[in-house]
Amino acid sequence: MQAIRVNELRKTFPAGGRLRRRDAVEAVAGISFSVAAGERLAYIGPNGAGKSTSIKMLTGILHPTSGEATVLGIVPWRRRRELAARIGTLFGQRSQLWYQLTPRQTFGLLARIYGVSRADEASRVASLGELLDATELFDQPVRSLSLGQRMRCELVASMLHEPEVLFLDEPTIGLDLVAKTRFRDLIVRINEQRGTTILLTSHDVSDIEQVARRVIVINHGRLIYDDRVSRMRRTLLGTKVLDVRFADPPAAVEVEGAVLEKLTGSGAKLVVDTTQRPIRAVLDDLLERYEVVDISVADPPLEEIVSHIYTRPL
Amino acid sequence: MRAVLTTMRTALADGWANRRSFGFQVLLMVVNDVTWVLFWALFFNRVGTVRGWNPDDVYVLFSVLLVAAGIAIGLLANSRRIGQLAADGELDETLVLPIEPLPHILTKRIDAANVGDLMFGPVLFVFAGHPTPERVAVFVLGSLAGTVALVGFLVFCGALTLFVGGRGEQGDLGFNAILIFASYPLDLFGGATKVLLFTAVPAAFVTGLPAQLVRDFDAQRAALLILVAAGFALLGWVTFSLGLRRYSSGSLWSR
Amino acid sequence: MRPYLAGFNRGLRGAVVAPGDLTVRMTFLVIVVLVMAALWSAAVEANGGSIEGYTRDSLLWYVMAAQVAVIAVRPRTVEEVGEEIGSGTVAVQMLLPVSVAGLRMSIEAGEAAARLAAALVVGGAATWMLAGPPPSAAGLAMAVPACALGAAANIASQHAFGGIAFWLLDAKSTWFVYQKLVFIPGGMLIPLELLPGGLEAVARVLPFATMAYVPGRLASGHAEPELLAWQAAWLVALVGVALAVYAAGQRRLEVLGG
Repeated sequence: MQAIRVNELRKTFPAGGRLRRRDAVEAVAGISFSVAAGERLAYIGPNGAGKSTSIKMLTGILHPTSGEATVLGIVPWRRRRELAARIGTLFGQRSQLWYQLTPRQTFGLLARIYGVSRADEASRVASLGELLDATELFDQPVRSLSLGQRMRCELVASMLHEPEVLFLDEPTIGLDLVAKTRFRDLIVRINEQRGTTILLTSHDVSDIEQVARRVIVINHGRLIYDDRVSRMRRTLLGTKVLDVRFADPPAAVEVEGAVLEKLTGSGAKLVVDTTQRPIRAVLDDLLERYEVVDISVADPPLEEIVSHIYTRPL
Repeated sequence: MRAVLTTMRTALADGWANRRSFGFQVLLMVVNDVTWVLFWALFFNRVGTVRGWNPDDVYVLFSVLLVAAGIAIGLLANSRRIGQLAADGELDETLVLPIEPLPHILTKRIDAANVGDLMFGPVLFVFAGHPTPERVAVFVLGSLAGTVALVGFLVFCGALTLFVGGRGEQGDLGFNAILIFASYPLDLFGGATKVLLFTAVPAAFVTGLPAQLVRDFDAQRAALLILVAAGFALLGWVTFSLGLRRYSSGSLWSR
Repeated sequence: MRPYLAGFNRGLRGAVVAPGDLTVRMTFLVIVVLVMAALWSAAVEANGGSIEGYTRDSLLWYVMAAQVAVIAVRPRTVEEVGEEIGSGTVAVQMLLPVSVAGLRMSIEAGEAAARLAAALVVGGAATWMLAGPPPSAAGLAMAVPACALGAAANIASQHAFGGIAFWLLDAKSTWFVYQKLVFIPGGMLIPLELLPGGLEAVARVLPFATMAYVPGRLASGHAEPELLAWQAAWLVALVGVALAVYAAGQRRLEVLGG
């Protein structure tokens, strides 16, 4: 069952602004994709790529210029309220929590708005608090919480009505590394324990590594990549990075098919183009010719892969 | 309906969370309002009855204004900010909820200072308006009708932003103009101005007509008031709903 | 003197470059003049043609000048000064080798000058259409500098008031109350002669009367030059108080550590 279906969706903002200075902007230029129920999808693109606009159309906030989409079988901009009851949203730059009040007080309001009974509200708040390690935060005023703590409570707020799909728009923006990692882990937890479909937009590539199983890359309003994350690494760049430690660091390291990137007192970093020479052959040569104490074979950093995608011709 | 009440209660709790500031602003507004009463007292002290209006009539007018403004920009503080909210993309957080957006937007913000107006208005009426059961009834209904007209008008002006852009400054101008005109008895104004007050700057329906009805009730004018108030409410609602289709959610600078 | 003139220029240019704000203010001026015209026409007609020596036309010229002098000045300065002090912004401003209060007042004076010029033209035109030529050319000629002096005194006084925030820390919404002091004892809404005896006496002792009443009185045909002297005296005093309040506040910050 496809949770989300998008076909040739387009959004153009009309020209205007003061003194007609602004030209028409085609924020989303005809995108198509579908998302299965229970999937974890990362929707990646640089700033201005059209990510937020896409999500806003899927959540019914914006009306598209043309094209179709359904979420849970419902056209978002036509039956907005009906869909709103079944999806959750978390916008990194907008808060659902009332600033001077405690998260629990906001939960109360949201429960009334979503039609959640008091009994259900209580039990869901408790279980979400446990799932997201946030219970002790619920009774402190939001203004006294750190950004990371606040985001955890926002997550509770967005899951309170047990949505089938959760849209997250740049949720980790402004968080420090530890908080980011923790937050991503929580999203995965929600998906695994409740089967909630996750669509996460970001311009932070590490969001893909930790959260997503599938990634869609958007740039200039167009989709330029759509595949499983694991395959992305494999097919896009046939390179591997070797991190080698020697018993006695040599003056130079020369192996056919490998490019020396860095040589320090303790070891070397080599990059291998596996389309030119299989990694096995390179490793055999390396181990034969040098006294290798330790070696690790890794994929190139995802940053590199994604930049590569952004810049390759469409 | 329940969502609306809960939203309002939450907004109140949010404002009350900073008790001292809330109370202080209410107090200052009351002081401000008392000064207006003082002005009128001084004016009539020297000038005497003007075109059939004596001080008490003006105090009634002022009480209606206080109630209407108190509700419109005190309790429903977002009614004058619709233009701003639309321009800044702040309607998003309401549009993701499974409810009618306009009532929620209107009730989610309370402005402490103008709540002071709402508190002082009835007090003024009680002391200076010669309250009889009939007059009280007309006062309450008239003020509420005036409020509906004012809120409808403000929403309409703000919703225009969704069509023509900008940040709702025209609405602000309109509102402040209404405030000025609505503070003075209708009979003060002649021909062209009076027409203006029944149309583009509907101060007549916010305070003029309600105050006249308290003085001198007549079913026809009362029906007119209610009809027009409902009309403004409808105008606001429709313009806003149609405008949502053109909402761009601040996406112009953060796509 | 140089930095203050530069400040003045900056303020002037800033106000001219923002036509939106200017248009809004001028629209209000016209609305208020219209409303006041209606009010005082009715009042005078109910009192046999004149009140305390003011006819309907001279009252309209009074209103114009008083409104112009007040509308040229930003009413929320008291609040803004209070906020700058409360938030500590002022501590940064004090790093400059000039008087913070002096510079700030110069900038606002520049803005006010631009608004004043526009308001005199717009207000004057509107009033001429409603009430005919000014009752006394000399009076009007004196009213123009009186508007400037009144606006300047208003600015200085708001800085003095706002400076209280050095001690009180919360000035929100206080501008509302300040505004009312200009409205009533200042004579903007109602000429001082129409106030009951005791209140009139008090109002004449306070500085607010120089901000609205004096320009109004002059424009309404009472060409009394001593009023200008009275304004000048208060202006000097108020500027002095503003500077003193800031200086005392600065010393306090230095002791407490901002």
